[in-house]
Amino acid sequence: MALDEAVRQEIQDLIESNDVVLFMKGNRRAPQCGFSATVVGILDSMLPDYHTVDVLSAPHIREGIKAYSSWPTIPQLYVKGEFVGGCDIIQEMFGSGEIYETLGVEPVEVVQPRIEISDSAAAALRQAVSEHGGPGRELHLTVDPTYQANLSIAPRTPADIEAKTNGITLLLDPLSASRADGIRIDIAETPNGQAFKVDNPNAPQVQAMTVRELEAEIESGESFELLDVRTPEERAIAAIPGSVLLNEEEATRIESLPRDTKLVLYCHHGGRSQQAAEQFVSLGFSRVFNVTGGIDAWSQEVDPDVPRY
Amino acid sequence: MALQIINAGPPPEAIAAKIKDAIAIEMPDAVIEVRPRGPGHFEITVTDSAFEGLSRVKQQQRVYAAIADLMSGPQPPVHAIDRLECRVS
Repeated sequence: MALDEAVRQEIQDLIESNDVVLFMKGNRRAPQCGFSATVVGILDSMLPDYHTVDVLSAPHIREGIKAYSSWPTIPQLYVKGEFVGGCDIIQEMFGSGEIYETLGVEPVEVVQPRIEISDSAAAALRQAVSEHGGPGRELHLTVDPTYQANLSIAPRTPADIEAKTNGITLLLDPLSASRADGIRIDIAETPNGQAFKVDNPNAPQVQAMTVRELEAEIESGESFELLDVRTPEERAIAAIPGSVLLNEEEATRIESLPRDTKLVLYCHHGGRSQQAAEQFVSLGFSRVFNVTGGIDAWSQEVDPDVPRY
Repeated sequence: MALQIINAGPPPEAIAAKIKDAIAIEMPDAVIEVRPRGPGHFEITVTDSAFEGLSRVKQQQRVYAAIADLMSGPQPPVHAIDRLECRVS
């Protein structure tokens, strides 16, 4: 297929002006196809930043990149101007460790996760495997970047790591394994019957910040988002300088930020902001802080000019 | 129950032969095997000394480049290559 010169030039510019470029369906935050999502997951584990091109919103690139690379499928990864491959090849290179050299990053040490499975959960898993497993179909545990765990029965892949416990063999991909050390799997009673319950001590949690620490953070000039979760009426009485009211519009803006953005939340005494902070953690934010004692503690310990109410 | 769509295009064997011819033009010494795997889906094995010293990606790019015309356009005869194996002879 002939490649239009303007399109060829556009693709070449993208590849030359970025060290790592992924042509994919959707974007890094919202991949629109499983193969693209897999590659994003692998790259996210190694690179803080890289360039993505959404071919769904650029049909000329979608067709053009296939001809440009002599490669019929999306996603496609380019590193330093060189075509690396599609999903299968990147998974393979990740499994073998070759990808680290290609990207020029230090290898992540593959961890053997310690996993605990209760007797009742082990019995339920054995039952599931006997019903749905079979040759080549084994039990997998995945832990995604937001620390959501998922159990499934699926084919084994070469990069999988085995974790054996309580008579059960679990397979984990290297990224899931790095997030799974110390996981405990149990059975919980829910209104809809029994369900697996997974406790992961590695999951990010809301961290506490004292008003003194907050004062030091503000003075250090380090950038972070200081969010006021109170009502506009309360805010009219008193507010911590540099803070923003967390209304709907602001929440939408925060949700579009990188997940390693530092978020600091406060309210009157620290209760409402704790709940809001937990929400952001569940969205995948890894650095979320709640100001202990809220603005009331700020007035008493840091700045008496901020009125108490 | 879902309605099964009957593919009214050319028979898979005819498309397989076109794939084989297209690769043979670019790689005249290659031993080429093409197996239909369902409507629009194929598996290909190509064995050629020309693959010597090439990375797996480069080997596959040579084959994909040869059949690009069969895989492009709005309704290409070849929808996907489920498996492409390149062997050095």
